[in-house]
Amino acid sequence: MYFAKKNTSLFFKILLIIGFGYFFWLMLTITMEYIPFNTEVSFLMIKQTEVRQRPEYLSFFYVHVYTSIFVLLFGFLAILRKDFGLKNFHRNAGKIYIFLILLLAAPSGIYMGIFANGGLYSKISFVILGCLWWLSTFKAYHLARQKKFKAHKQWMWRSFALTVSAITLRMWKVIIVYLFHPNPMDVYQIISWLGWIPNFILIEYLITKKLI
Amino acid sequence: MKILKLLLISFFTMGLIACKKDVKTTDSSKDSLTARKDSAVVPEVYKEYYGIYTGEFAGEGRIYDNETDEYYNGTEYKKISLKISKITKDSVYGQSIVDGNQRPFRGIFNENTKTFVLDEPGNDKTDGRFEVKLTRDSLTGNWNAFNKSSVKAPSKSLKLIKKTFVYNPNFMLDENSDLIDWENPKKFVEKYIDEETGKAENYTASKNRIASDAVFKLNASKQKLTEKDLKNLRKLDMEIIKNSVFARHGYSFKKATYRNFFEQTDWYIPVSNNVDNDLSPMEKENVALLNRFINYAEDKYDSFGR
Repeated sequence: MYFAKKNTSLFFKILLIIGFGYFFWLMLTITMEYIPFNTEVSFLMIKQTEVRQRPEYLSFFYVHVYTSIFVLLFGFLAILRKDFGLKNFHRNAGKIYIFLILLLAAPSGIYMGIFANGGLYSKISFVILGCLWWLSTFKAYHLARQKKFKAHKQWMWRSFALTVSAITLRMWKVIIVYLFHPNPMDVYQIISWLGWIPNFILIEYLITKKLI
Repeated sequence: MKILKLLLISFFTMGLIACKKDVKTTDSSKDSLTARKDSAVVPEVYKEYYGIYTGEFAGEGRIYDNETDEYYNGTEYKKISLKISKITKDSVYGQSIVDGNQRPFRGIFNENTKTFVLDEPGNDKTDGRFEVKLTRDSLTGNWNAFNKSSVKAPSKSLKLIKKTFVYNPNFMLDENSDLIDWENPKKFVEKYIDEETGKAENYTASKNRIASDAVFKLNASKQKLTEKDLKNLRKLDMEIIKNSVFARHGYSFKKATYRNFFEQTDWYIPVSNNVDNDLSPMEKENVALLNRFINYAEDKYDSFGR
């Protein structure tokens, strides 16, 4: 019974790793569209109002695009909790994850949230998401410094669940468009909330059930 | 065909020689500029018949059905415009425009029967001969392809009325229009259990795009469009709003999708296969903006990404 349980747990772990690998690859191809620097490429095609009216918009945008892919990567490696034979790998990967979010990815994300597509409801969602992301990452960092590792682990799972919202938002978009073909901004308003709320709820549930 | 060409060439050369003779005599006798001009230019007649005649171009032939992916025999209807630009004693000059294909023609006008016999050049596989009768403001008759095997409907009838093309930025699609794009169906293979045999069977369903009423609200010829106006529009809406600009200038659409939408109006007259230079600066900017959003919708609407 124990053996079967351990096997299923291992099976799900491998599944999640493969799943994450696939979606990380998709996010990487999206990031590559923004290399080289271009004021009108991809998502910016429908943000020219902001690009032209706000001289700082492009800086915030590209900071977010260029750092977020590393945030995903290092967050994933750190949360696996393995050192891969390297000394202090988990700690160093964690430091990179924390540094990139607190100083670069979250502030730029909050800025862009203020100008998000989809009207007021989307803006509110993304700004809240950005703030929760910053706060949970900061709390997790602080707890690690205080060596309170059990609490650190819980807060880091909260932070990573919000990091992964980048992937889940895009997954929901594909599903909703395929099923219902709504107008583009109607989809966007829905996924701006659906992208992170279920992630948040799932982690809180797992923490409450003492599974994390 | 060859005999026809020969006849035309002889007509033409006869006309030329007649002209040349006149020029020679006036040159030797008078120096007056007006006299020389009069005889160097062939006089135009029946100027009141000049203009654009537009209407139905129908023919029996093989028609392709998008939904069943098959050909069937039926009547094909198109909208055609014949532009008569010059009539002289011996010749008629003008252009035909149908499906975005603009072809010049040259022919003759019979004063007694009031019929035109107009020939397209013949170097395009869709060229043919128009034989039409003028009754007051309408032209009726038929058209026959020179090369009967290269067109789906080699014999067509024409019912045209003289219309004045006027650019009006207020023209919009009529609110009773059919907004479904029948030309680009998306096929879905769906499974069901056959009640009689109990087996799983496939059938192919077709889904067509439909435009929203945004196409009645936004006019790219009258207002400067912003990103905000377009962000929540479907691709088909934006394609119609953009092509309405071209329709107002008389562009003859090559794509059946747009022909189907604009031929439902009573104001659309196809008169040209390129109207890019006629657009106002505001229209050009709106079209560029719409193109950007249409490209984005094309690439990103249903893909993994924002």
